[in-house]
Amino acid sequence: MCLMRTHSRADLTKTLAMTTPFSPPLYMQRYQFVIDYVKTYRPKKVIDFGCAECCLLKKLKFHRNGIQLLVGVDINSVVLLKRMHTLAPLISDYLQPSDGPLTIELYQGSVTEREPCTRGFDLVTCVELIEHLELVEVASFSEVVFGYMSPGAVIVSTPNAEFNPLLPGLRGFRNYDHKFEWTRAEFQTWAHKVCRDYGYSVHFTGVGEAVGHWREVGFCTQIAVFQRNFHDTMSNAKRLEPSVYRLMYRVVYPSLSDNNIYQRTLVNEVLYEAQHLRQEWLSRMNMDSSNNAHFCAPPLMDVFQHGLEGGTRDCQPVYQQGGTICVPLARVWSSPRVRALCGSVQRLREELQVDSRVRMSADGTVLILPAAADDEDDEEVEEEENVKAVSGVANNVEEDWDRELGCYGNV
Amino acid sequence: MTGRARARSRGRGRGQEPAAPGAQPSVSQEAAKPVMPPPPEGQLVGRGRQKPAPGAMSEEAMMQISAGFQQVKIGERGGRRRDFHDSGVHTRQLMEHVKESKTGVSGTAIELRANFMRLLSRPLWALYQYHVDFKPPMESRRLRSALLFQHEETLGKAHTFDGAILFLPNKLHNTETVLCSETRNGEKVEITVTLTNELPPSSPVCLQFYNILFRRILRILNMQQIGRHYYNPDDPFNIPQHRLTIWPGFVTTILQYESSIMLCTDVSHKVLRSETVLDFMYSLRHQCGDQRFPEACTKELVGLIILTKYNNKTYRIDDIAWDHTPNNTFKKGDTEISFKNYFKTQYGLDITDGNQVLLVSHVKRLGPSGRPPPGPAMLVPEFCYLTGLTDKMRADFNIMKDLASHTRLSPEQREGRINRLISNINRNADVQNELTTWGLSFENRLLSLNGRVLPSERIIQGGRAYEYNPWTADWAKEMRGLPLISCMSLDNWLMFYTRRNADVAQSLLQTLNKVSGPMGIRMQRAIMIEYEDRQESLLRALQQNVARETQMVVVILPTNRKDKYDCVKKYLCVECPTPSQCVVSRTISKPQALMTVATKIALQMNCKMGGELWSVEIPLRQLMIVGIDCYHDTAAGKRSIGALVASLNQGMSRWFSKCVLQNRGQEIIDALKGSLQAALKAYLKYNNSLPSRIIVYRDGVGDGMLQSVVDYEVPQIMQSIKTMGQDYEPKLSVVVVKKRISSRFFARIDGKIANPPPGTVIDTEVTRPEWYDFFIVSQAVRFGCVAPTHYNVVFDSSGLKPDHMQRLTYKLCHMYYNWQGIVRVPAPCQYAHKLAFLVGQSIHKEPNMNLDDFLYYL
Repeated sequence: MCLMRTHSRADLTKTLAMTTPFSPPLYMQRYQFVIDYVKTYRPKKVIDFGCAECCLLKKLKFHRNGIQLLVGVDINSVVLLKRMHTLAPLISDYLQPSDGPLTIELYQGSVTEREPCTRGFDLVTCVELIEHLELVEVASFSEVVFGYMSPGAVIVSTPNAEFNPLLPGLRGFRNYDHKFEWTRAEFQTWAHKVCRDYGYSVHFTGVGEAVGHWREVGFCTQIAVFQRNFHDTMSNAKRLEPSVYRLMYRVVYPSLSDNNIYQRTLVNEVLYEAQHLRQEWLSRMNMDSSNNAHFCAPPLMDVFQHGLEGGTRDCQPVYQQGGTICVPLARVWSSPRVRALCGSVQRLREELQVDSRVRMSADGTVLILPAAADDEDDEEVEEEENVKAVSGVANNVEEDWDRELGCYGNV
Repeated sequence: MTGRARARSRGRGRGQEPAAPGAQPSVSQEAAKPVMPPPPEGQLVGRGRQKPAPGAMSEEAMMQISAGFQQVKIGERGGRRRDFHDSGVHTRQLMEHVKESKTGVSGTAIELRANFMRLLSRPLWALYQYHVDFKPPMESRRLRSALLFQHEETLGKAHTFDGAILFLPNKLHNTETVLCSETRNGEKVEITVTLTNELPPSSPVCLQFYNILFRRILRILNMQQIGRHYYNPDDPFNIPQHRLTIWPGFVTTILQYESSIMLCTDVSHKVLRSETVLDFMYSLRHQCGDQRFPEACTKELVGLIILTKYNNKTYRIDDIAWDHTPNNTFKKGDTEISFKNYFKTQYGLDITDGNQVLLVSHVKRLGPSGRPPPGPAMLVPEFCYLTGLTDKMRADFNIMKDLASHTRLSPEQREGRINRLISNINRNADVQNELTTWGLSFENRLLSLNGRVLPSERIIQGGRAYEYNPWTADWAKEMRGLPLISCMSLDNWLMFYTRRNADVAQSLLQTLNKVSGPMGIRMQRAIMIEYEDRQESLLRALQQNVARETQMVVVILPTNRKDKYDCVKKYLCVECPTPSQCVVSRTISKPQALMTVATKIALQMNCKMGGELWSVEIPLRQLMIVGIDCYHDTAAGKRSIGALVASLNQGMSRWFSKCVLQNRGQEIIDALKGSLQAALKAYLKYNNSLPSRIIVYRDGVGDGMLQSVVDYEVPQIMQSIKTMGQDYEPKLSVVVVKKRISSRFFARIDGKIANPPPGTVIDTEVTRPEWYDFFIVSQAVRFGCVAPTHYNVVFDSSGLKPDHMQRLTYKLCHMYYNWQGIVRVPAPCQYAHKLAFLVGQSIHKEPNMNLDDFLYYL
C-alpha cells in the first residue's frame, strides 16, 4: 500500500533529452493527442481517469470544443483537494461568459469500481494508467470501462516496452510503480479482446517516434483509440448523484446558456450601444446649438458616412421626444455584438420587453433613454437637521497644556 | 496493492525545481536539539523576508528555525513577500510615557461596534512546529509529503507541511516520533518528526497561518482572489454604458490587536471591465484618427493595470511595442514560437486581429524559485481586460454617481454585508469542518467597544467665537457675516474671461463685491481682460497683463478641461509668482447658487494672498506643526512629489509650504530635509525664536512602509533639526497618519445603525499593542460610511499626554481653510496633499519660492 509520486516522468524526459529529445515533451504530446481528438470528434461529456494534478482537465478546459461536462477521477483525494481550485473559472470567464455550458466535477474513486454516474459519456481517457494496475485488475478495468460505462470512445495510452532499449540507462520498467509494460503485440491482443467482448473497434497509434532504422520499434507511448460499435442508449440519461465515488469538487462555469447570465449580458450590450448612440446624438446637438454655422457641416457629413459604413440603408435617426431620447431598436441591432448574442430582431425585442432595466416604446421599435444627464447639483440638498447634543460643547475654561505638562513630570 | 499511485503516475507539467545538490542539510544533529523559546519579538522584522526554499536550506537557516521563527514562512504559492500589516514594528516600548497607558480621558463615552471578530481557540491552543527529517533524504517535496501522510492516523487530519516543517494543532505523544514508510519500489524511508517549537496563538507564524487559513475559507465560499482581496463573482452589478462590472468582496486581515486576535473585515468593491485593450484601442483610433492615435494610446494606456484572459494575472502596462504584432516570435524553451501559435496551442485562443501592436509590462515578480524576473512580458491586447477606472471616468460625474449608488454603503448596509459574511462562515459546513479540524472558530458577532466623543471646538474669528453643529461639523452658516481674522485688500487684480462668459464674469465680479464687504475684505474693481478660447492666447494674455504688483489673477475657464488650468498654474506658480484663482464658468452660471459660490471664492482668494480666516484655541506655546504628504505620479516617469507644510504662528493660521520633486532612487525625506530647515528659518523670522516643540504629521505612508519611517525618516528629521544649532533641542513627535484603513465603526443613534459623530476617538481594543496609536473620526459624511483616520505616534519626546495628543490632532482637523468644517486629517496634511497634487498634476516643477509663505495652492 504505497503511494508514490513518480519523479520518473521528469527523470525520463531528462534522460531522453540527452539522446533523443522529444519536442515537445512526451507528456505534452499525449495531452495534445487527446486535445486533437476532442477537436475532431467533439464529445460533449468527457471523463479522465487518473486525473491526478488535473493537467489534462486544465488543458481541456481551454480547448473545450463543445465539451459540456468534464469529469476527473482519481483514487487519491489529497492531490485532488490540493489542485482542484486550479479548475475554477477565471475572472475572464465571468466577464465574457462562453456560449456553451461547462461543468467540471472531480471524484475520488477507483476505475475498478462501478459508479452509475460515470455512464453515458462520450469519451473516456486513460492516459498512462493501465500499466499501474495489476494484471487481474486490468480485467475488471476492461469490464467496468467498456462493459459497464460503455462510453462512445475510449483512449488508452501505455508505454511501449519495445522502445525501452532506446532509453539510455533504463533497466526494468520506466517507473517503479509499473506492474507491466506491454509490447505492441501484447497491447493489441488485450485491445482486440476488449473489442470482441464489449462491441468496440480499435485502431492503434502513438506518440514519440525514434529516428532512422529504430523507427520500427514503434512509438514510445502506444495509444489505442476505441470506438463503440453499437448505438448508445444512456447518453441522455439523467445525471445521478454519485453513489460509489466521492464528489470532491463541482463547479458550473458561467455561460450564456444560463438564462440569467444571458439576459444580463444582452441587456448590458444593448444599453452600451444605446447609450453610445444617445451620447453621440447629444454631443452633436450641443455642438450645433452652441456654435455658429461652420460647425454644422461636419456632423452632417458624419451622419452620411456613418450610414454608408453601417451598410444599412435604413439608418433610422435618433431623436428627442420631450424629456427623452429615442433610439430605434434597428440601430442597436446593427451592433455585431448584439447580433451575435441573439439571432433575430424579433428575439431581441422579446428579450428586452421583459427586462426592467430597459424602457421601450409600446410597439417595441424604440428604446427610450433620459435626455438630460442627471443634474449635478442634486446633492446640494440643504438638510436642516435637528441639532442633537453629542457631547459637551467646548468648555470655556482656558487650557494650558504646557503648564499641565509641568506637573506631569519632567520626562 | 491496488496502488494509489496508479492514478497519479501521469507525467506532471513543468515541475518543481529539485534542490541544489549539496544544499541538503545535514539534519541528523538538528534532530537532537531541544525545544527553544522564541526570541524577543522586537527582532521580527517583516520587510524583505525571503521565502526559504524548503528542503534546500543551509544549516544556518535550520538553526534559526529551531530557535524561533525568523525565517519561517508557511509555504503557500504566490505568498506575499511584503508585510502589509507593518507587524514587527515596535515603537511603543521606546516611549516611556505611554508604556502603561496610551488612552485619553476627554469627552463623553459612546458605545460602538467595529468590523472586527474575535478568533477563538480552545484553551491552551498552540500550533506545534515539527521538524521532519527523511532518511535517506528525499529530494522531491511531493514525495516527502506523500511519505509523511501515509501516517495520517498518527499525525491527524489537520496539518500543514512545506517539505521540511510540519505544523500540527495537536501535540504528538512524544517529542520525537520515528515513522517508517516505504516507497513503491521497496525503499524503506525512516521519517523522524521532532518537536521544535510550541507556538502560542499570537506568535507571528500563527498569525500568518490564520490568514492563510482564512483565505482558504474565502475560497471555499467561492470567492475569487484579485490582488490581495477576495470578491464574489456570482453577484455582479453592471454599468453598461462603460462596460463596467463591479464585484462585491472583502478585505480581510487577522492580526493581534490590543487584547485579542481578531479578524478585521471590510467591504470592498472591484471594478472590472468587460472590454479588452483591443476594443479600447479600436474606439480610441475611431475617436482621434490614425495620426494622433499612437500618442493618445500611450497617454491613455500606460500605467493601467490589465488582467489577462487566460490566467488570473494582472500586469501594469509600461509601454507599447509599436513594432510588434502577434506574428512576432519569442523563445519558448529552445524553440521560437509566434504569439499567435502559442495562444492557439496553449489555450485554444484565436487572435482575430493579426496587426494589433503588443503591450509591454516590466514584470517585477521573481521567476520560479526566486530567480530574477524573466524580463518584460509582451501581452496581446485582445487577451487583456482593462481594470479599474481611468482618470477620465473618475472625472465623469455620471459614472461616479452610478458607481457610488452601488458601492457607497450606508452604515446599516455595510454592517449587514459583514454580518452576512459572518453567518456564511458559521453556516457553511465545509468552512466549519476546516476550522474545527484546527480547533479554531470565529465569534459570531461584531466586536463591541467604547469610544469617546471629544468636545467640539470653539471657532475663533477675530474677536468673536462661535460653536458649530456637532453633527454636520461645518460652520459655513455660522461664519456668514462675520469679519475674518485678517483680510488682504484687493487693489490691483485681474479677471480673465472669454467672450462667451462675459456676462457671468460681470455677475461674479458684482457678487464678489457684495460678499466681500461683511467679511472685511476691501475690494477695488478688477481689471477685466478678455481672452480667446485657446491655450496660447490665454497664456499670451497672462504674459501681457500680469505685472509685478498684481495681487491676484482670476481666470474664468469655459470648460473643466485640464490643459488651460495647467497652463495658468504653470505660468503663475513658476515663472511669474502670483496668486491665482481659476473658476469654471459652469459653477458660476446658476444665479441662485452664485452667492454661496462667490463667498467660497472670496475666502479662497483671501487665503491665497495671505489672509487668515479662523482659528481654534491651541493650548501649547512655541509649537510648530508640520504636515508631510506625497503624490506618486504614476504616468509621467513615476516621479514622486513630496510636500511639507509647517505652521508659523500660534493660531495655526499662517503656513510655510514647500514642494520637492524626488529624484529617481531617492527617498522622499532626503529631499524634504532642506524644506524642514527652510520652515524652521521661516518660523524664526516670524517669531524671533525657534519652536520648542515640533510635531510632524506624516501622511502618505504606504502599507508595509512603517519600518522605514521609523528607521530612516525619524533620524533624518532629527538631523535636519540639529543643523539649526548644536544646542537647539526641541521636543519632537512624529505621527504617521493613515486614511486608507479597513477599520470601521458603527454607532447606535436613536436605535438605528449610524456613523459615529465627528470627534469620536477610539484608543482601545482595535489598536495595536506594540504601537502608540488611536483612531479619530473627525469629519462628518452625509452619505455612506465615515472612514476613521488612524494615527500612529512612532516617535515622541514631547511627553505630551495621549489625551492631549488626541485633542491637538482633532483641533488641527478644524484648520483647513478650503473647507468651512472639519476634515479627515490635520490641516497641514491636507495642505501638503493639495500642494503635492497641484505640482504633480499640473505644474511638474518646483513652485517659485516667493510663494512659500502663502496658501497659493488652495
